[in-house]
Amino acid sequence: MNIKEIDDQIQVMISTADELKRLGEDFPALYRNVARIQASLKMLELNISDIRELTGESN
Amino acid sequence: MNTEQKYWNPVLETLPREKLHSLQLKKFRRIFTWTYENSRFHRKLYDEAGVTPEDIRSFEDIRRVPKVEKSMMRDIQRKDPFPYGDALCVPLEEVSEFRQTSGTTGQPVYQADTWQDWEWWAENWCYILWAQGYRPSDRVFLPFGYNIFVAFWAAHYAAEKLGCEVVPGGVLDTQARILKIEELRATAMMATPTYILGMADTARTKMNIDPTQLGIRRITCAGEPGASIPSTKKRMESAWNAKVFDHAGATEIGAWSYECGHQPGGMHVNEAMFLVEIEDMETGESIEEPGRKGKMVITALDRIGQPCVRFDAKDVIEWDPEPCPCGRTFRLIKGGVQGRADDITKVKGVLLSPAAIEEVVRDVEGLGDEYEVLVDRLGDIDRIKLKVELIPGAEDQVKSIEAILKDQLRLKTNLGYRIDFYDYGKLPRYEVKAKRFKDLRKK
Repeated sequence: MNIKEIDDQIQVMISTADELKRLGEDFPALYRNVARIQASLKMLELNISDIRELTGESN
Repeated sequence: MNTEQKYWNPVLETLPREKLHSLQLKKFRRIFTWTYENSRFHRKLYDEAGVTPEDIRSFEDIRRVPKVEKSMMRDIQRKDPFPYGDALCVPLEEVSEFRQTSGTTGQPVYQADTWQDWEWWAENWCYILWAQGYRPSDRVFLPFGYNIFVAFWAAHYAAEKLGCEVVPGGVLDTQARILKIEELRATAMMATPTYILGMADTARTKMNIDPTQLGIRRITCAGEPGASIPSTKKRMESAWNAKVFDHAGATEIGAWSYECGHQPGGMHVNEAMFLVEIEDMETGESIEEPGRKGKMVITALDRIGQPCVRFDAKDVIEWDPEPCPCGRTFRLIKGGVQGRADDITKVKGVLLSPAAIEEVVRDVEGLGDEYEVLVDRLGDIDRIKLKVELIPGAEDQVKSIEAILKDQLRLKTNLGYRIDFYDYGKLPRYEVKAKRFKDLRKK
């Protein structure tokens, strides 16, 4: 299992969500749905990103 | 998705112990820093103790962090930011969930959660349900009226998240719930041990339905220690012809522990999400070695709205010396949560745990599922009365049952009891948490 590869994709999603939220300031349907997506992305960070450096795959 | 995968998280649940410790230390530092910077209540507590985030470099440093007790949370609530008080770490508009404790040990405590916290609750329950064999093909029936208490809310969301079909059985009476299980062919359910036994009794005695034929394959229990008490677990498994699993969680903490499919006689602590410490009940000394009971101090490593950092939970637990054959590296607590430090009381100078009485009563054939224990005092002498029910047909066995009970209770609790027998159906029935232990000396 390549944690680095998975985490790289998670980081792309996090960046995308951050950008969408910025664009959604005047668009409640976008802003609030992205807020929920961000909470789900946080769960991916807890499950995967947090262990990237511990599994020796931080580079 | 490979539903044969044993672990919800195949990396975290099998992480070598030293890496798990590194993860816990890193996460403790993170939640402690977050709490220090965002909660006025915690900041004051930590400043008074002279502990700052920079001080946390080892597990010994963690033990210098002051504990938080439930009474402290009671004191700050109903103040601004209303109603949670200044332990809240986020603006009020980020709070999406209100829950409160049941108030069993006093004034209920309010709990705020953000949507991220709520995802986290469900995530922790996913570890539990996956380990207990829940899969997308399951139809999960929840015979419980959801309300201001957290019970089974997160289980519902987690079951949905891992792909199960969830049937909310809230505002139905017991008979209607049993009929719905039969009608929909539910495969799993979750409830307190008291209610699981009560439902089976209702099905058999009032509906002429054999619960073993309803097709329930697995049951997850909460709220009471019964599913970790071997004799109670056996009764439930036999009544439903299903595997019965325990889990542990609390409003202020989260769902922190679970029994896996191997049913190893204990529960795994989800050590990727929680840091569990055990302290000697008298001295407060840290207990690392297996086989020694103490009270739990717990940190939820990722809960941000109203954090849980070194919470003095008062659950009595002990580490199991053996690893689990399931392959998880998360440590086991032997026999689950064995009681609460509040409930373990001295009777005639002997420490008595109500769970030990339950283990004996539920292991005696001829007795019903219900019982009550009353402790009172005559002059300076403590007395214990045990009320039990005979199942129909066992009326002529009173003498032999009484002898077995007295013998086993003496062996398991080192105390003598007066036994009162009642006809079947005469003792109170409970739908949620039962109150079977009554210490009248405290009045």
